[in-house]
Amino acid sequence: MLGHPNSHQDEFAELALKRIVASGAEYGDIRLLNSTTQTIRGEDRRIASIREVQDSGFGIRVLYHGAWGFAASSVLSLEEVPRVAELAIEIAKGSASLASEKVKLADEPVYRDRVVTAQRIDPFAVALENKSALLLETMEYVHRQPGIVRSSAGLWVRRDRKLFVSTEGSRLEFDLLALNGDFDATAVHDGRFASRSFNTPHLRMGYELIEDANFLAEAPRIAAEAVEKVKAPTTEPGSYDLILDPEHLSLTMHESCGHPSELDRALGYEANYAGTSFLTTEKRGTFRYGSPHVNLVADNCEPETLAATGYDDDGVACQQWDIVREGIFVGYCTNREVAPKIGETRSRGSNRADGWSSVPIIRIANIGLAPGAATIDELFADVKRGIYIEGHGSYSIDQRRYNFQFGGDAFWLIEKGKRTHMIRDVVYHGITPEFWGSCDGVADRSHRRRYGFITCGKGQPGQSGWMTHAASHARFRNVNVIEGQAGS
Amino acid sequence: MSTIGHKTWPKLTSPDEFRFLAELVLKHSTGDHTLVSLHDQQSGTTRFANNQIVQNVDTRRGSLSVTVAFGRRHGTAGTTDFTAGAVQETVTKATQIAHLSPDDPEYLPPVEPQPYLTLPTMRAETAATGPARRLEYTNEAIGQCRMENLGAAGIVSSSIATVGVAASTGLFAHEERTDARFSLTAQAGEATGWGAAAHRSIDHLRVQERTLTAIDKAKRGLEVRELPPGRYSVILEPAAVAGLWSSLLWTLDAKSYEKGTSAFSGKLGQSIVDKRLTLRNLPAHEDLLGIGFTTDGLPTVASDWITEGMLTQLAYDRFTAKGRGIDKIPTLDAPCLSGRGSSLPTLQELIKSAERAILVTNFWYIRTVNPTDLTLTGMTRDGTFLVEKGAIVSAVKNFRFHESPLRVFNRIAAFTKPAEAITSETGKLLVPAMMLHDFHFSSVTRF
Repeated sequence: MLGHPNSHQDEFAELALKRIVASGAEYGDIRLLNSTTQTIRGEDRRIASIREVQDSGFGIRVLYHGAWGFAASSVLSLEEVPRVAELAIEIAKGSASLASEKVKLADEPVYRDRVVTAQRIDPFAVALENKSALLLETMEYVHRQPGIVRSSAGLWVRRDRKLFVSTEGSRLEFDLLALNGDFDATAVHDGRFASRSFNTPHLRMGYELIEDANFLAEAPRIAAEAVEKVKAPTTEPGSYDLILDPEHLSLTMHESCGHPSELDRALGYEANYAGTSFLTTEKRGTFRYGSPHVNLVADNCEPETLAATGYDDDGVACQQWDIVREGIFVGYCTNREVAPKIGETRSRGSNRADGWSSVPIIRIANIGLAPGAATIDELFADVKRGIYIEGHGSYSIDQRRYNFQFGGDAFWLIEKGKRTHMIRDVVYHGITPEFWGSCDGVADRSHRRRYGFITCGKGQPGQSGWMTHAASHARFRNVNVIEGQAGS
Repeated sequence: MSTIGHKTWPKLTSPDEFRFLAELVLKHSTGDHTLVSLHDQQSGTTRFANNQIVQNVDTRRGSLSVTVAFGRRHGTAGTTDFTAGAVQETVTKATQIAHLSPDDPEYLPPVEPQPYLTLPTMRAETAATGPARRLEYTNEAIGQCRMENLGAAGIVSSSIATVGVAASTGLFAHEERTDARFSLTAQAGEATGWGAAAHRSIDHLRVQERTLTAIDKAKRGLEVRELPPGRYSVILEPAAVAGLWSSLLWTLDAKSYEKGTSAFSGKLGQSIVDKRLTLRNLPAHEDLLGIGFTTDGLPTVASDWITEGMLTQLAYDRFTAKGRGIDKIPTLDAPCLSGRGSSLPTLQELIKSAERAILVTNFWYIRTVNPTDLTLTGMTRDGTFLVEKGAIVSAVKNFRFHESPLRVFNRIAAFTKPAEAITSETGKLLVPAMMLHDFHFSSVTRF
């Protein structure tokens, strides 16, 4: 459909919007989307699958008498578009019959624009045999390390060609890319096993992301660290200072700051599934979320990041704003529906769907920890007994985002200001505002790295959200560390 | 257009239409082997919160997947466009990928034609469900909560799907599957209560009963105590038991077992849980969501996985199964956990039998902490209570647990007969409610 020379996309859009307007609905939009996803998965020195999937369809959203209806279809035809439009209208009318509080959308200018991901190397133009050869060679390098028993490696590329048209007159075209690559190594020792992972961030750019990651140079280190990890001494439970690397922090921020800053959660929309938020609306502007070192900034304008799509699926232009300023909670991620409920006149542009068949919902923005002034050496120098953590491990948090427990991918003991040897089975536990309140140092911008997620689960039916979280290394004092094994 | 009960619904891909599509694929494929998979679904969800609808959606999605193989080189392409041109392009793409792929030493050709059981996977009443029926159930749940001055948040969903697998070996399978779900979180200020159901038949959701259960839990939660973390006797409702068992079932794969990267490595044939427990797969059970065949086209089968506490089965991929000489690969699409011996008839009887215990409605955000011993963590959610002398005496603030199912299911004090269990993080299982001793709650949250 989209991108094809004989595309009927504008005809489809006009057909749908005419029906919506004729129904008396106050608002409607249509998103027509064609996604191409290529995945290559390697496992234990073989290419287990290479897959390329075309996913095309359209979704129509209708706001009728203050209530929503949405219908979608993968059948793109002049007969199906009116059927789906009528169904969306009928569903909205049903919703309206139970509406006690009518939805009123925050105003947004009308846009006509086209957004295209900048790329140096088209990832779909890179020969498949070169990609699979890279993964095979990476796994071979991993298995050269004695003690390694398993490996995996993968590449993922997605191209989304989308058209958004609304009854308000916005017409937005998108041609967006995203990709990432990863590999891991698993070692066994003394009846235990442990893995170490390498991940590029998920970013919106070309294949240069993979080339610059230099898998073959990293593979021996990752394999060696997997073996060191499985043989490392276990953790002694207790209170430690933690230094967290940017990849690890991306998940900590995502779970303990990102989700509680979603206004739909704070208002109860997710009470039956993803949960609500301890950051309730009366706390905005006064609640101490963290120490004065903690500045968490939402930036959906930073090039190459996942949520920087130009406009969200409400047709709202991407923006930058503060979530936590010098430790005080000040802002939410919002959409056109909920922004007015807290007295804001404009949406923050965080309403995104994970495909044509999904209705847009509030998703976490690109929330990042603003850099501080410290060097890495300075962060370590002032730690008598601590743990340095890299990467993602086990993670779990309650449905209001207070009580969390995180592991990691690799752990090193810090003694008298120096990183010493690896340890294993580290899990730290905390209460969100207490944990961020213990942050007493953030490294400078030169250490800033970006990591992202494409599997952030939310909504019913479930959707996968995409967003990037950037950070420099940060230090947290006196964090409760427990042993990550049964019996603790 | 519609033959499934709603005037504007499209017809999903019938067996004849799938056969036509499959033949189109096979005709254009030059591969040594070709596999075609179909998934065509009409689904709808009405979602509500704060006592009104916040999302009301209906989606038709058809997808076709084609795998082409030359020797051991294989490639897969997929499309949502069922027009002849798009299907042929998909075959061409799969063929191109296969030509450029390296040999896969674990590749196996598609299976030969298989005999399949006809299972009750499709219920006409669910297939006929449209937005109006979902609205009716939504109205019922919200109305009940409003009468109690509570907030209601939840979903009513229904779907029908046609699923097919065909191959150049002559394999052909096609099945209609329906699915209906209801879940509700009743809110009384900070207190919440939850109930949920999933069934092939929308008539079996028992919306009123589940709603009253959620309301009761929310109302009981108004007065909440904080207990210290530590080891407690617990009464786990079926949803909580299912959460722990799902984490266990997901780690039974045979390849990890053989490579030594499984919590079960070396434990096949050994006792792993209480010897009164037996786990079976029952695809034909009408209260489970069994299916007739897998994505490989293999028939699902009734099978034993844990027999009187002993691990007797692993989840095999075809390559590992071949290496082990296993012809008939057991599936785990419809798990049923049952206890031998004297079970109590109901959860209420289990509560009455407890001197002091924590009653857990559900667990949330269960994640593996240590894959070697299957240590898990997670939070209690939507109804956690202190039981003393056979009665609920108060709600308690939610706990985080830090435990391995391989330990806790060896400390069973009592259990009920299996009951339907579904959570937002698990599939559907039949499991008993259970009382367990010495369950480790490692911390407490603020609510």
